[in-house]
Amino acid sequence: MSSAPSNSPTTDPSTPEPAGVDIRARALTRRFGPHVAVDALTLDISPLTCFGLLGANGAGKTTFIRMVTGFLLPSDGTLTVGGISPADHPDEVNQKLGFVMETSRLYPELRVIGLLNFLAGARGLGRAAARVAIERVIDRFHLEGVAKRLVGNLSKGYQQRVSLAQAFLHDPPLVIVDEPTGGLDPVQRGEVQEILRDLRGERTVVLCTHDLAEARSLTSRVAVLNAGQLVAEGETEAVLGNSDALSLFAMGRSGRTAQESP
Amino acid sequence: MTALLALARKEFASLFGSPTAYVTLTMVALVTALIFFDHLRLYNQILFVFASTTIGGINTDEIPDYINLWDSVFFPVMETLGLTLIGAVPLVTMGVFAEERSRGTDELLFTTHLTPTQIVLGKFAVTFLFITLMMVVSFVYPATAISRGGLGLQHLAAVFVGLTLHGIALASIGLACSAFTSSQLVAAVSAWAIAFLLWDFSWMYPFINEQVAAVLDGISLHPRYGSFAEGIVTLNNIVYFLSVSMVSIAVARLSFDLRRVGS
Repeated sequence: MSSAPSNSPTTDPSTPEPAGVDIRARALTRRFGPHVAVDALTLDISPLTCFGLLGANGAGKTTFIRMVTGFLLPSDGTLTVGGISPADHPDEVNQKLGFVMETSRLYPELRVIGLLNFLAGARGLGRAAARVAIERVIDRFHLEGVAKRLVGNLSKGYQQRVSLAQAFLHDPPLVIVDEPTGGLDPVQRGEVQEILRDLRGERTVVLCTHDLAEARSLTSRVAVLNAGQLVAEGETEAVLGNSDALSLFAMGRSGRTAQESP
Repeated sequence: MTALLALARKEFASLFGSPTAYVTLTMVALVTALIFFDHLRLYNQILFVFASTTIGGINTDEIPDYINLWDSVFFPVMETLGLTLIGAVPLVTMGVFAEERSRGTDELLFTTHLTPTQIVLGKFAVTFLFITLMMVVSFVYPATAISRGGLGLQHLAAVFVGLTLHGIALASIGLACSAFTSSQLVAAVSAWAIAFLLWDFSWMYPFINEQVAAVLDGISLHPRYGSFAEGIVTLNNIVYFLSVSMVSIAVARLSFDLRRVGS
């Protein structure tokens, strides 16, 4: 593992605070043939919330996120991000959205600076704006020492930092983070969680995870999915309590819920 | 436009950041050189036989018409080059979309300001530029045969245009195949299968009637490619190759929509 700095990322005071956006799903359903991946999901995620989306593998978290980004179309129901439908206007939604994928989903053949340059350009930033944005995220996510290294040669912890950095290039009001600490060792996990902790209250963050400790320490509200259905939703403490992952993720619709209006 | 240029720069960096580009360029140049020098050696041997059997040196009047630089060197080289491109181009195109899918970076691309149409056009444009570079590398030997044969610049230009259009059509087929799978192997094999099938339907003629044969001949790559090799440039043939590319771009673009609704 690379020696990562232990201090937390700093927020540039000159950066304008982006207002968060909300996500509203109404009876949202996504089928893959006979399999229902997301089943009549109704969910509100308020602006500036750090929201945890919990569930075991195959619960429907990633499918939900893919519908939020417009990568998948819903089979039924409606979904809006900041009042815009990602199904109809994915390009408009993606201007408001930063997406942090699982660790390995980057371009290993590119250098960190090259990757950030590419993604800044792909997000429509001109040369001057891209340079400022890249300097900002390199500073914020402490990538100075690895900027010229190939992404594929970085430790998983640093790859995840790069993944986080690219999501902030266009300063989006909504950041979606999918399994940010999957496959990381405890030290790397702590570093990434420290970065995520600093994002709270700054913009809307949707954290997709099956790590309950991570959800407890980072989120203010959570929703639990099981087999595509919403089985619990509410303030993190109220929903998670002292539950363990096994009982929580096995919870069915008829089980315990902490449903409450936001 | 900024986003499209950023994608093009990244595609170039990815292409030349892997050994595939260099291996393919070297392979095409090497195969073309081998074929060229082999046919040239054979041609020289035939001339030597005539020279050695003629008292007082070679008498060109005694050499049959069918033994000439064109039929002995140029056309066989062009024929082999056309087939070599069918083998080589899918190696370049197989990973263009398939690798994005297998790594999951297609989702990352989708969340940028690039539209699916821009993603497809950007990737096609960079691949076309690479194919043009490949043609420049492999064109040296046919160009030598043309210049030594005394056929002039027009013929040279016609052959280069034909080669490039042929390469671009093959690249388009390969890219369309790559857009529908996450496996580079599947992308390459399907592109090879389609390209070899389209190359020449004449082997089917004993089994099909004349009307079907005429239709198949109309969509076959080989006669049109051969026409350029003879120095004949027709609008019909240019439109044919460009149509293959346009249809392939549309098919690749369609793959994005099918994935969004796909089951």
